[in-house]
Amino acid sequence: MQPLAGLRVVEVGGTLAAGVATKRYSDFGASVVKVEPPAGGEIRRLPPFPDDRPGLDTGAMHMAFDTGKRSLALDLGTPSGREVLDRLLAAADLLIAHQPVPELRALLDRIDPESGPCTVVITAHGMDGPYAERLENDLTIFGWSTRAHRHSVQGREPLRYAPHAGMIQAANTAGMLGLVSVWGRRQDGLRRDVEVAGVEALMGNVDSSFFLWAVNGAVQPRSTGLYRGIYPMGAYPCKDGHVLFSAARHPFFTNLCRVIGYPEAAFDPRFTDPAQRADHFEEFRAMLEPWLAVRTKYDIFHEMQEAGVMCAPVLDASEAMADPQSVARRSYVTVAQPGPGDEPLEVTIPGAPYRMNGLHSDAWQARPAPRLGEHTVELLDELGYSRDEQIALFRAGVTG
Amino acid sequence: MTTRALEGLRVVEMTEAWAGPVGASLLGDMGADVVKVESYPRSSMTRPVRPREATMPGDGPPYERDALHHQGNRNKRNVCLDVRTEGGAEVLRRLVAGADLFIEGYSSGTIARLGFGWEAVHALNPRTCMISLAGWGVEGLYAGKVTLGAGLDATSGHMAVRGYPDGPMEDVRSNFHSDATGAATTVCAAITALEQRERTGEGCFTDFSQWEGLVWQFPGLLAEWTMNGRLPARLGNRDPHVVPHGVYRAAGDDEWVAIAAEDDAQWTALAGALGHGGWAEEPHPWSTLPGRLREREAIDRAITAATGGRAAFELADDLQAAGVICAPVISSSQVLMSPQLQARRWSHTIEHRWTGPAMVGGFLWQVEQDPLTWDRPTALVGEHNGEILAELGYGAAEIAGLLRAGAIAEGYPEPGEAPAGPGLPRRGGHS
Repeated sequence: MQPLAGLRVVEVGGTLAAGVATKRYSDFGASVVKVEPPAGGEIRRLPPFPDDRPGLDTGAMHMAFDTGKRSLALDLGTPSGREVLDRLLAAADLLIAHQPVPELRALLDRIDPESGPCTVVITAHGMDGPYAERLENDLTIFGWSTRAHRHSVQGREPLRYAPHAGMIQAANTAGMLGLVSVWGRRQDGLRRDVEVAGVEALMGNVDSSFFLWAVNGAVQPRSTGLYRGIYPMGAYPCKDGHVLFSAARHPFFTNLCRVIGYPEAAFDPRFTDPAQRADHFEEFRAMLEPWLAVRTKYDIFHEMQEAGVMCAPVLDASEAMADPQSVARRSYVTVAQPGPGDEPLEVTIPGAPYRMNGLHSDAWQARPAPRLGEHTVELLDELGYSRDEQIALFRAGVTG
Repeated sequence: MTTRALEGLRVVEMTEAWAGPVGASLLGDMGADVVKVESYPRSSMTRPVRPREATMPGDGPPYERDALHHQGNRNKRNVCLDVRTEGGAEVLRRLVAGADLFIEGYSSGTIARLGFGWEAVHALNPRTCMISLAGWGVEGLYAGKVTLGAGLDATSGHMAVRGYPDGPMEDVRSNFHSDATGAATTVCAAITALEQRERTGEGCFTDFSQWEGLVWQFPGLLAEWTMNGRLPARLGNRDPHVVPHGVYRAAGDDEWVAIAAEDDAQWTALAGALGHGGWAEEPHPWSTLPGRLREREAIDRAITAATGGRAAFELADDLQAAGVICAPVISSSQVLMSPQLQARRWSHTIEHRWTGPAMVGGFLWQVEQDPLTWDRPTALVGEHNGEILAELGYGAAEIAGLLRAGAIAEGYPEPGEAPAGPGLPRRGGHS
């Protein structure tokens, strides 16, 4: 039995963030019903697509994040659609929703405060306050989060991380809170309504520089290339690419100096005295980089780690897939996804985010992502709608 | 007064740096009784014995005033042990035996050598769940390898796509995104394990590779390669299918605004708000999505010309009022300028013995029925030794003996001073 078997979740919004949050449940055995607009929501429209041919059922984000869910195509803009949703929610433990805030307010108003499900809503700024109804996306919540400002070179425009990184992190926060809410209700009987504001979820977590400023008044400087204050930190060139060091402090720095043949440098005030260090960065670099230049990133990784130095190869997506550790752990899995034609589409996606009961257990399973509306009839049957009622809903465009 | 969602849950946390400590704080925020096991005689990397940049003002030892430590350790109690002594190990055994959840974050293999691998933990209490946060996972080929979040970012494929499209890799800054994601994922792993225990009656072991937790978030990077045989490009702020989608200069030396228009309606709103309504009127070439994709650079220049003289906050207010996706790109010193965060009373001030009142960031979420509070500022080293050991059945004389022997401690020696007890050198093994 999977760890979340029996948990009944309803996902509303059809967005990337909603899909990311509920994947935390479906892959571990929960029943997740994706309530989607009949035209298909955001997550189905996000690239990349196989051979760059867009399609509602074949987007990479949908196929990776909607695994093991059931799809109910339903227009929530109609009273009939909302009636179907009410029946669905009456039998659910948890609602995860990501919609514009006015729609979220109307949705939460429909939840029975005693018998309804726990709710977690995903927003940019929260459900109240002067910015509550602002329109934001991944880029702009990143702008608010202080991360973009720091993620930049002095004088140039601040940058986001990989596309969607900010929204996905907000979604992770929501996913975690859904589990906690269900757990808490079982303990104390209290039904909780949780709201996640993307800006707060990013700003309050690690990797935000607000805390340092708040307690010390320190504004983290923007980058001017490799960090000179303490080193080595960051990506250094080697024979076949780059290696990343986080090895500026003892014992890592001492070990590193030994490995590259300058053991005395670890005790040389030019490189260890905070007052002098920055002035001698180029000299240090001239000792380190020739050693790196004749070695591959994996050779450096293993040799440095063997000597007790925090070092890692900088890998692209294809190299990450081929990394010996990810192969040994089978960190990526293949799902036979119903494709546009008769042949299933073999899709490679990241595997379990954490491994329960060993690497080969079935606690986590990735099942195919549903076609849009694939389970509409099945779900309306379960909710007690007669087939004539279902046809009426379909004919009016309420379901799909 | 309500109870907290995780009230009654007993958590023992033995981690360093970010993902583990913050994950445990999140459990504490939600009411779990989290006991942090502080290492002795080697202090953790966020508890330096000498002052550094991150040291907060105040008196008292630097390791009690480190901002990086305070950021990740609220809402916990603290016991400080030398687990390599028999006395310290026995304290940890009793703690783990009484815990619902044991979270450790050493490099793969380290915790087993210390006598607290999964088999040992399971034998102590078959209901205890254990999570190991080794960077690249416990099982596999990378036993003993040490990393921080930056190394996970580097090996995930994420670092390769960060940075300017035309910039050198040396300019791409190390980041700790995997720690932010890892903290939330730790909580997911914890509750999922406890849910399994509800169903089976037995505790379980979770091998949480923070690397796997990070790549889990980036299927799009992977799919470029597996579906289309392309390596994902460094895009900067660009979206290949949305124009405009970027960060533009605002008035001032180093002020910026993020702007995007994802469809024709948003573009019409943006063009109008910038005083160029004609950009969105047919047959202007920019009035359609394909037309805008074809002229990205010209549009970016036109927007820069229209925004460069405007203050970022003000411009964002105006564009938002017109229905445009827009935000100032703020530095940490501008956070409190947000009327939104002020209205939500996001930041607050805590009292700490050595730092005095300190302003801190707020929580990651709000719960209507269950308000969050920062009940416990970062605990001092060994602050709860006496209380916790008493709960574990130790008498006052025993506790004093353990302290004399260096099995438990209430602080670290001054630099250059010998530690109490038979302290052994420890290998750095955090992740």
